[in-house]
Amino acid sequence: MFPSLHSLGSCTYNGMDLTVLEKQQARLKWLQQQQQQQNYVVQNNAHVELCTSSVPQFQGLLGSSLCGGQLVELKMPEVYLGSDDFHKFVNFSVAGPEFGVSKMDLVMPEAAADYSISRTSGCQMTAFQTAVIKEEGEDVVLEKMESTTGRESFNKRKAKAVADYKCKDKKIKEVEAESEVKTKCSAEVSRNSSKEKSKASEVQKPDYIHVRARRGQATDSHSLAERARREKISKKMKCLQDLVPGCNKITGKAGMLDEIINYVQSLQRQVEFLSTKLAALNPSVEFNVDNLHVKEFPAYVANFPAAAKSPAMANLACLQLNPLQKEAVNCILDATMHPPGTATEGIASASMLIPEQALGSSCVTQLQPFSTWNTDPQCLYNVYNMGFH
Amino acid sequence: MNSSHLNPSSSLKSRFTTRFLRALTRINARKPISPSSPREIFQRYRRIKVAADKSMASSVRSRRTWSRATLWKLRSRSCLQLASLGRRRSVKTSTITSRQAIMKKTSHEIENKTTTEEDHQDRFVGQADKLRELVPGGEAMDLCNLLDETAHYIKCLTTQVQLMRKIVDFYSL
Repeated sequence: MFPSLHSLGSCTYNGMDLTVLEKQQARLKWLQQQQQQQNYVVQNNAHVELCTSSVPQFQGLLGSSLCGGQLVELKMPEVYLGSDDFHKFVNFSVAGPEFGVSKMDLVMPEAAADYSISRTSGCQMTAFQTAVIKEEGEDVVLEKMESTTGRESFNKRKAKAVADYKCKDKKIKEVEAESEVKTKCSAEVSRNSSKEKSKASEVQKPDYIHVRARRGQATDSHSLAERARREKISKKMKCLQDLVPGCNKITGKAGMLDEIINYVQSLQRQVEFLSTKLAALNPSVEFNVDNLHVKEFPAYVANFPAAAKSPAMANLACLQLNPLQKEAVNCILDATMHPPGTATEGIASASMLIPEQALGSSCVTQLQPFSTWNTDPQCLYNVYNMGFH
Repeated sequence: MNSSHLNPSSSLKSRFTTRFLRALTRINARKPISPSSPREIFQRYRRIKVAADKSMASSVRSRRTWSRATLWKLRSRSCLQLASLGRRRSVKTSTITSRQAIMKKTSHEIENKTTTEEDHQDRFVGQADKLRELVPGGEAMDLCNLLDETAHYIKCLTTQVQLMRKIVDFYSL
């Protein structure tokens, strides 16, 4: 009997998906044990007469499908829920001649432990004697519950029972302590109960944003809204990650934002740089829109080399900037390419500096030694000062 | 990247290109004298930059907060310039310095915050503020919309950079 139960227990179940057959077998065997015990106890306790009468009914139930609703008029649950009754059972059974005390104690915890192992997989069971006994009684209760009210509530009650069993060390409380289930730890048990709770709360609230509350998360409206907002923000950050090149390895909002800021700054700098280049081009060149069709840029250049040549020739002639212009442009370009710490301000100041400085005739000679510009603002500032004093 | 592939003539790229080239021709036509002095170049640079931003924003019209903010800024600036022609430079510099002062102040406030609040969260907030400064019109937006605007702004900036580079390459051949 016990080896079989052990084997049952050794099977690993995910969640509570025990096959019905295995459950029935387990229960049958367990009940046989129980019957032997309870038959003895029946003689001594009036309450237990109900038990024996119900046990055959119960066995009959087990034989039939689980969803049979025959045992409706049960007042069993109340009977078994009281801790006193269990004590009575224990006392009686201990006092009985048929079962030795130690044997009884050995039997029951083991049986219950194994049975509960088989029923709630993954839970680490430490057998508490009194709690075990309560568990046994509750298992009977639970089975009846299952038969009458369906799987969900059965899971709830089982969750309650197992949680109570596990988490109250040798304290036998009322089973209605459902709040204990929420607060105490437990492997699947509390998860299931909290899941159900969260589902219930979702259904009850008139929430328009459908957010599924996950395991271990609060379920009030504020945190749900907060979570929805956070998920929106993370979605947008992912979109930005696609836009900004080289962002794939970075995880975390702060690093991402850093990258985004750098990228935006670099783009703005590039715009300034290109507009400087355009400014350096001679104005006599005609910017004809007809010549530049957006999509045919490379095609145009490739197919009409002759047409491109003439403006190109004119450009080449025009692009012969005098050294002053060249230096100015180079300075601006350098400033844009290697920006100082404060990017745009530095560029603005730098670009303002150099043309102002280059105005002075004396600056021509000064420019040449500075052909390789240091790009830190201090140097530029010094140059600026030099240009004006 | 283009706003509509069905009608290519109305795509963002083409709209931006037409407007920008028009502005360039206008700028070039304005100063017939060859700009040999760097000052002239600098002025043209500023004008071209403004023209680029303006044409970009006008291509997006008012659909985006940042484009509306850019257009409003440029228009107000041009109004300021028209109103006080003589003191133009001083006004500009004063606005720039005042803006710098404001930014410095906000950065100081942020630094004061770091000592008291949680580091990571605060760094995040500081970066969000930085992003608000970068993206035009970002000061009055919450984080969600700010990220949206940033995404669109990045798209438009990349378009702008690509097109300007093409123009430069084309005309400097």
